[in-house]
Amino acid sequence: MWAAVGLIEVLVLLGAPQLFWARIHDWQHAWSLPMAIASGVVAAAYLVGMPAWRYRVHRWEATPTAVYTQSGWLSQERRIAPLSRIQTVDVRRGPVAQLFRLASVRVTTASAAGALEIHGLESADADRLAEQLTAAAAAERGDAT
Amino acid sequence: MTDADPEPEGSEWRRLDARMLLVHPVQEAVRFLPALLVVFVTGRSSDRSPWWDVAALAVIVGIGVSRWFTTRYRVGPGRIELRSGLLQRTELTTPADRVRTVDITATLLHRVLGLARVEVGTGSGGLTERLVLDALDAGAAQRLRDEVLRSAGRARAARADAEAQADVDAETVPAADTLAAAQVVPGPASDLPPAPERELLRFDPAWARYAPLTVSGLAGLAAIWGFAMQYLLPTVEDIETTGRWIEGLGLLAAGVGLLAGGVAIAAAAVAAYLIGNWQLRVTRHPAGTIEVTRGLFTRRATSIEEARLRGVELARPLPLRLAGAARLRAVTTGLNPLEQGSSQLCPPAPVAVVERLAADVVEDPTALTVPLRAHGAGARRRRFTRAVVPALVLVGLAAIAVARQWAPPVVLAVSVLPLLVAPWLARDRYAALGHLLTPRHLVAQAGSLLRRRDVVERAGTVSVLVRQSLMQRRVGVATTVLATGAGRWSYPVLDLPAAEADALAAELVPEARQFLVGA
Repeated sequence: MWAAVGLIEVLVLLGAPQLFWARIHDWQHAWSLPMAIASGVVAAAYLVGMPAWRYRVHRWEATPTAVYTQSGWLSQERRIAPLSRIQTVDVRRGPVAQLFRLASVRVTTASAAGALEIHGLESADADRLAEQLTAAAAAERGDAT
Repeated sequence: MTDADPEPEGSEWRRLDARMLLVHPVQEAVRFLPALLVVFVTGRSSDRSPWWDVAALAVIVGIGVSRWFTTRYRVGPGRIELRSGLLQRTELTTPADRVRTVDITATLLHRVLGLARVEVGTGSGGLTERLVLDALDAGAAQRLRDEVLRSAGRARAARADAEAQADVDAETVPAADTLAAAQVVPGPASDLPPAPERELLRFDPAWARYAPLTVSGLAGLAAIWGFAMQYLLPTVEDIETTGRWIEGLGLLAAGVGLLAGGVAIAAAAVAAYLIGNWQLRVTRHPAGTIEVTRGLFTRRATSIEEARLRGVELARPLPLRLAGAARLRAVTTGLNPLEQGSSQLCPPAPVAVVERLAADVVEDPTALTVPLRAHGAGARRRRFTRAVVPALVLVGLAAIAVARQWAPPVVLAVSVLPLLVAPWLARDRYAALGHLLTPRHLVAQAGSLLRRRDVVERAGTVSVLVRQSLMQRRVGVATTVLATGAGRWSYPVLDLPAAEADALAAELVPEARQFLVGA
């Protein structure tokens, strides 16, 4: 079993979209100050709380037999897929992720409901992980279809 | 896998049955009926020669004849091929191990002529991927189906063997796949004459009494009700405002109309049920398929390969449940969840019958008889809060609306109704909630208005997922979801105590044990 390759930079990845949110709230100033302040407070709390929370929750692990991911904040989920059931491994880079040189690895299975996604990996780590998973999955057989 | 195939080389190319020439012109004629009418009418009015009619007919017959001449098919080693088209020639080749279903349908016309239409489903979705043979002799269609399924089973067995050998670690081969393949083709002995099929279910016309209780039947009733209300309400207002001359007659007439409409809808639902499911038979074939045959006018025979069968869903919506009925659907891989028509095993029928069929189909009697494990106090509390809180919110909103005189007081009275039903609903939902692990299946049940019991093969598990919302964490429960490549793709077990949720996940996917603290 190899140790976890690296922890996730979710903070940065999820912080960026928040700027956009804050801008929307600024725009509401002209309409109603209390609303703006209230939403500003909520946004600030969200800005500070949510990414940190997510950062604390999100983790993943890949062992020679299975892949594990944990994600979410208010609603949390943990997914486990045995290596033998992996069908494809993709590396995805969204625009924000590219900005921070991050990538996510998406592991799909024979079930449309059974995909795992590991967010906010360092780009190079993501490539390495995808390669390792692909090699490991290719060594296994049978996808339960 | 094709080289290893023991099937004799060179099944020759075959043609459709010549009697299809009688079917196609009629079908085409129906399709072109408007055009034909136009031709006919204009021909009459403008005194053109009747040769136009003859020409049109000739074209239609010509198309049919050309189709007979150009369409050929064969079941080769490891694949099924179809060639068709006169100007635009197409060749369709399907690897035998991709075949998932073989459907035989026969419309009334087909049946009069002793023909049938064969459709080979490969599960890849697109219409172009479908292999359709319209039409064959009914007997030939049966033989072709057996042939295709045998060939498919053999191809898969060959692949499973190859994989088993290629695998150093033999236990990673999903046990059910090899098992099923072995059942399909026990070596060369499979070429012996097949053993007789076993009947699992036979239709009883009395079941049609459940038809009006299905969604389509109820929707019809609701439509009638809404329609009636629209005309009834003004009447009521009239009574209040102008006078009571309409009172006796108007309400009576409306009531009678409503009743008549309801009866008509119910009758239509019963008729549709009978037409669709007449002489329904579910049989298990020694070739490793479950076959569903039904239909009064159009006979439809669907074969579901057992190797593709991952379980069953037994659904009991409230109206059916009150009447003691249920319906059954197969969980199969490779079928689009959106087009589940061909996965129905049994229409609404008495629970005992459906449960027996379900047990026979999954070959796991315990899955349907053993009482389920309840999910405990946390789950019960959540059922109650989830039923009562929205109802309370509704009452609160109504109270505000009435207090501010935005709405008449009746609204408040009506808004209390859900609150009265909520506790009953919550209790019923909790009573339904439960799960069970048998050696081969996961059984999960939930729901009140739409109660469903899912029996899903554990060997088909692709991944597991343990989910907890904020509220679930506070109560200390979690939902374990089994993801599979079949049926609905995800089968949840709701609101287990958190430790049990982890344990269940570890039970479903042994590899999960290393990650889950509670297991």
